[in-house]
Amino acid sequence: MTLFAAVDRLPLVTTDLDELLRRVARRDVDAFATFYDQTRARVFGLVTRVLRDPGYSEETTQDIYLQVWRTADAYNPAAGTPLSWLMTIAHRRAVDRVRSEQAAGQRESRYGAANVEPPSDLVAESVISNDERRQVADCLGSLTDTQREAIQLAYYDGLTYVQVSERLSANLATIKSRMRDAIRGLRRCLGLS
Amino acid sequence: MTQPIDDLTALATPYALHAIPETERSAIDQRLADAPPDVARAFDDEVRAVRETMAVISAATAVEPPFELRDRVLAEIRQAPVVPLQRKSRPWRATILAAAAAIIIGLGALGVGYALRPAPQTSTAEQIFAAPDVRTISGEIPGGGTATVVFSREKNAGVLVMNNVTPPEAGTVYQMWLINDAGPHSAGTMDAKAVAPSTTAVLPNLDGSSTLAFTVEPPGGSAQPTTEPFAALPLT
Repeated sequence: MTLFAAVDRLPLVTTDLDELLRRVARRDVDAFATFYDQTRARVFGLVTRVLRDPGYSEETTQDIYLQVWRTADAYNPAAGTPLSWLMTIAHRRAVDRVRSEQAAGQRESRYGAANVEPPSDLVAESVISNDERRQVADCLGSLTDTQREAIQLAYYDGLTYVQVSERLSANLATIKSRMRDAIRGLRRCLGLS
Repeated sequence: MTQPIDDLTALATPYALHAIPETERSAIDQRLADAPPDVARAFDDEVRAVRETMAVISAATAVEPPFELRDRVLAEIRQAPVVPLQRKSRPWRATILAAAAAIIIGLGALGVGYALRPAPQTSTAEQIFAAPDVRTISGEIPGGGTATVVFSREKNAGVLVMNNVTPPEAGTVYQMWLINDAGPHSAGTMDAKAVAPSTTAVLPNLDGSSTLAFTVEPPGGSAQPTTEPFAALPLT
């Protein structure tokens, strides 16, 4: 499969999720189970990346899907794709959890390194193809070190942009620019803009 | 506005990445609410683009969860009804209104704005905020936390946001009731996990309800309230 094929695949998955989510909003448990199967690796993987703890990650993943069940009727296709809606919920929950653990002093600050680990091989290929994962990893790799570091600290480590700026001893405007440039770079690389 | 608009737009990316300190978030929301429509729209577009991008990027971090998690998730949603239960008529309204008057309330009309716009409810919230008759009611819950309802009669819908509410005791849930002339009808339940630390719920059918009340109920909720409400918000 070429990279183009991997990209072409995304809208198809999205359309499927759209229909599933409409059925979930109508309390269709089978549709919910399929929605879970289609998305669980993305959600659990992101949560695990942020929380770095299997137990917390499972709890948080469970909370996220409960929220999906409760709020599927609020999903509006005009406002974004189902995957974006879901991953936003997932990231919000994970970051909230990290911050509450940090507030409770239970999570060490051991995440200074700005690295994006290679993708795990544990994901069923029917859901996310190897080509797709490689392309996404390549795009992350195409960012400058400082851009990647900003995304790592803010998105995966759950730091605020103010904390990122303190961590990197860079001023706030610089950090905001790096984040924005990182996203623009990713969008270009992924063919999203 | 002491800060230039450019500065606001520059915050869209950290905002979308959930990288805004909580202490700044409401100030940004207020500035967005006050900003010219094109500025707010540009901010929204940027937020949406960032979120779509990170959704695609999630392929890079994907990891299969343990298989047992699937059973746990499915078991949990089967116990978590949020659809309105059967509505019955009952002389309950007087009780609830008396309770509403007696129990709460640090009522405060909040500035309606982006503050109550967490991602999951963006679409519904946007419709409600865009309604000409949008209103916001907020009250403190006895025992801790706040409940806020943003609602529109014209849209016949509202969004409930609960922050820092003390979770229900083990073996119980909180159930929300919309009360109109026909009596209370369930607006869903929340268990301990759903409550902490903050949660949002859509209230799809206001149907002329004058009060939103909360009771403690057994898991899964009740068809009709079985306990006195511990909190209520007048939807006026």
